[in-house]
Amino acid sequence: MSSDPADNDTGGTITRQRPVYTESQVIMTTVKAVIPFVLTYGLFITFHGTGSPGGGFQGGALIASVVLMMAFAFGIESTREWLSNALVVGLGTVGVAIFAGIALVPMALGENFLEYTAYYPVLGDVLGLKEYEFVKYGMEAVEIGGIALIVAGVLMGLFFALAAGVTPPNDTTTPDTESAADTDAASNTDTMTGDIDTEGANK
Amino acid sequence: MSVTAGSSAVGLLPIQSVGITPIEVSLFIFVLLTAVLTALFRDVLASIVIFAAYSLGLAVIYTFYRAPDVGLTEAAIGAGVTTVFLLLTIAKTTRPASDARFEAINWPAVSICGLFVAVVAVTLPAFPAVGDPASPILTNADVSGYYIANAYDQTGAENAVTAVLAAYRGFDTFGEAIVVFAAGVASLLVLGREVFTA
Repeated sequence: MSSDPADNDTGGTITRQRPVYTESQVIMTTVKAVIPFVLTYGLFITFHGTGSPGGGFQGGALIASVVLMMAFAFGIESTREWLSNALVVGLGTVGVAIFAGIALVPMALGENFLEYTAYYPVLGDVLGLKEYEFVKYGMEAVEIGGIALIVAGVLMGLFFALAAGVTPPNDTTTPDTESAADTDAASNTDTMTGDIDTEGANK
Repeated sequence: MSVTAGSSAVGLLPIQSVGITPIEVSLFIFVLLTAVLTALFRDVLASIVIFAAYSLGLAVIYTFYRAPDVGLTEAAIGAGVTTVFLLLTIAKTTRPASDARFEAINWPAVSICGLFVAVVAVTLPAFPAVGDPASPILTNADVSGYYIANAYDQTGAENAVTAVLAAYRGFDTFGEAIVVFAAGVASLLVLGREVFTA
């Protein structure tokens, strides 16, 4: 990570700093055409994890790769503005909550952790399912509602966190970083100054 | 991989043939070549592109050996997302200019790697051939045999891999999912940010 982006122009030894984003008709058109199929395939892999190869992990990665492709085609900054932080964080945390909830409820019912059949005495008559079917739909719920959401959310988040780069420590050493809004604004301005190459390429 | 001579039974089900098929040979050569080229290329961008090809080759090998779940993961994570993350990283950094196409070979490192490969290669003859019906995994199948025999009746899942992951070994999978979540939180912590997307 170069400390000062302006050095790139003057330094003779450092060259070939490419812009993060270059608008390309080929890439944009290709991504537009490919995205629906990738998203469908990701959902298929996620929802058919118990019946065919795949599962929440692979499907979640494919769903996240849709957003990654959009960022490559239409620019990281514009995709970042389009995608709300609440969605990315929500995918991960809701996934963990669903997985942990499905795992912990059997313990409350006096069974073991993740014992799917513990739901059978409670919900068996209501849902009209056999005992082993609770294992199947429990696994589906964990794969779809747990793993896929976590993986999709975290991979999207990692991508944008990596694209934004590190916030210099002098932001955090200022005394009044207690309020969240202040640090938020500080990190935003840092993103603007740190991503000179990105901003320049967007013009 | 034990290469037994005379692989005459190259049929529709190569997993059952004890020996090595031309497809396997070409896949192994492709993966070895891309792995070596990844290390050799001076240009990081070239290395990343070849590394993606290496992951894709591995994914094909996994699928060829009837492990499509692993193959899908390798293709999605190894060839896809990791490549994107690495490309993003070199886009954010600078690269020194150089006319050399290949990296200078570090012979001490090569000899240590060669030594390691030799040590691992010594254990290769102890492995049974691929698809050998006399291999311990098939003759002594206490664990895998139980899963194969009971996974569908007990879980209703046609894919026994998912049955193991989400039902029999659900606790491990819960830990893995939490690790992924923790990786996202840790990345924010390291980067000193409070939000993924502003």
